[in-house]
Amino acid sequence: MTAVPGGPRPIKYRQLSHTADLGLRIWGVTPEELFENAGEALTAVLTDRRRLRLKETEEIAVEAPDLEALLVAWLNRLLYLYDVDAFLGREFQILELQPQFLKARARGETYDPERHLAGTAIKAATYHHLEIKNRNGRWEATVILDL
Amino acid sequence: MANNVKLRQLDDYRWEIPREGKMRTRGLVFASQRMLAKIQEDQSLQQVANVATLPGIEGPSMAMPDIHWGYGFPIGGVAAFNLEEGVVSPGGVGYDINCGVRLLRTHLQKPEVDGRIEELVNTLFRNIPSGLGSRRKDLKLTIPTLREVMRYGAGWAVKNGYGHQGDLEHIEANGRIPGADPELVSDFAMDRGKDQLGTLGSGNHFVEVGYVEEVFDDDIAYQLGLHRGQVTVIVHTGSRGLGHQVCDDYIKVMLKAAAKYGIELPDRQLCCAPLSSPEGKRYLAAMAAAANFAFANRQMITHWVRESFEQVLQMGPKDLGLELIYDVAHNIAKIEEHLVNGKKKKLCVHRKGATRAFPPGHPETPAAYQKTGQPVLIPGDMGRYSFVLVGTEQALTETFGSTCHGAGREMSRHAALKVARGRSIVQELKAKGIIVRGAGRATVDEEIPEAYKDVEAVVEVAHGAGISKKVAKLKPLGVIKG
Repeated sequence: MTAVPGGPRPIKYRQLSHTADLGLRIWGVTPEELFENAGEALTAVLTDRRRLRLKETEEIAVEAPDLEALLVAWLNRLLYLYDVDAFLGREFQILELQPQFLKARARGETYDPERHLAGTAIKAATYHHLEIKNRNGRWEATVILDL
Repeated sequence: MANNVKLRQLDDYRWEIPREGKMRTRGLVFASQRMLAKIQEDQSLQQVANVATLPGIEGPSMAMPDIHWGYGFPIGGVAAFNLEEGVVSPGGVGYDINCGVRLLRTHLQKPEVDGRIEELVNTLFRNIPSGLGSRRKDLKLTIPTLREVMRYGAGWAVKNGYGHQGDLEHIEANGRIPGADPELVSDFAMDRGKDQLGTLGSGNHFVEVGYVEEVFDDDIAYQLGLHRGQVTVIVHTGSRGLGHQVCDDYIKVMLKAAAKYGIELPDRQLCCAPLSSPEGKRYLAAMAAAANFAFANRQMITHWVRESFEQVLQMGPKDLGLELIYDVAHNIAKIEEHLVNGKKKKLCVHRKGATRAFPPGHPETPAAYQKTGQPVLIPGDMGRYSFVLVGTEQALTETFGSTCHGAGREMSRHAALKVARGRSIVQELKAKGIIVRGAGRATVDEEIPEAYKDVEAVVEVAHGAGISKKVAKLKPLGVIKG
């Protein structure tokens, strides 16, 4: 599926309501794009992504037993970077994606409570109702976050 | 969402999910008729049934009246497993290992703090880092020190000048879960924990100044050192990023272990390993380490609560009398001895959003509460009230000594934000006499009182069913939210 030039951009992700927690539904034309959009969706819960500048770059490598678990591991690594370095990614680039391994680059900056909106804290991405599927040539993932 | 789990009413407070399919035992849900309609809207009852399929489960798979949809185990879930065939599951504890609540009393009466609450709240807010990714700039732990914290828990904090020895006697497990092995906690987890000790974090965590509005049992309240009009403080937080990482690390271990030991999982988040396996033992030791970090965290925050009161009210510790009544864990798995079919048996009791409620005379009930039963602390939402209860013999025999842990959400965070839109929640609460300071507007709005079940309804079920006993009701005056 390619976006029509000048047409509406295809939706990257949507937040799903869940009583205690929060779900994310993420889409992508390729698995790589799906993972990139998942990174954006995660940041969007934590803060207003548009206010982040592209000042720092983080190189990330993650392993997991399968593609679904890899998505959880990827999101939890981003949460780790936030916890440890206060780093929040605005743009994500998947450099290599295997079913059990990924290499990525995240660009963004250190969270500054003076300039950045404090969104909702996330404890972790979970395996509950975790799913990645290909629907009519488009990739779709569902992840539940523990808040 | 549709819910087709069969349910049979046993009495006014008890509902049974009959054993069927792959369930190894029945489900037992504590709820009132009124609460049930809401519970049936989501998948939490299915989750109770799912837990019942796990190997080595003893007694029913239970849910306390604040049950709601979690991930894997329901929130409000209690499940016990024997040590021979049973399992331990990180998902049955939760990401916030040893999230818990502590209650402090004071020598102050409400009129003595009237007009000072705003200042108290601002001082607490300044002294206790709160909010998204909160960290301490003044206290960065080295790895060896962090390991000490995880080994000794609240005892480490006391030894380093945060509080006094007497505090430890008023904490579940004396503020230290035995068997903790910090060597089994990953570097990732330690990275996350090293500057988060003594921070509140975000979400539903808080420090609340309140007062005793109502006493239900004069005798027990007296023995707990509580009386009407008295100023109290509640601290609610857990093991922060360190605990989240330990949970995530061991879920990965358990996904492999479940396959290795041939455990069939209805939901990946229920992944687990036999208690007798190396994986199971390693998780318990790492979980204990994270739990001890949480005990130390609440102990240090208590120290800053005491300092904040001293600063604002210009009073010494003796006059303030900020003493710990009790500290309970409500996300934990513990090895305990229980009677099973008349025989003493060691079990691993998972409490995920559930509180231990041991009766008078139990060896693990602290000395000070041998006659009253162990204090149980049930925080409500920030606009209403919280409850103090005590554990009972009924809880010990029926729920492995467990009861509810809080109000439980009724509204998703999205729905809460929608309801809060265009309103100033801080102003509304102020009009009700409650000063709230939150690190971010979103956290305050998501935590609006309407988003929660009325904690009183939850407590009524626990009290009515006899799995704990109401002692006092506390009303908030000032709250700092993460």
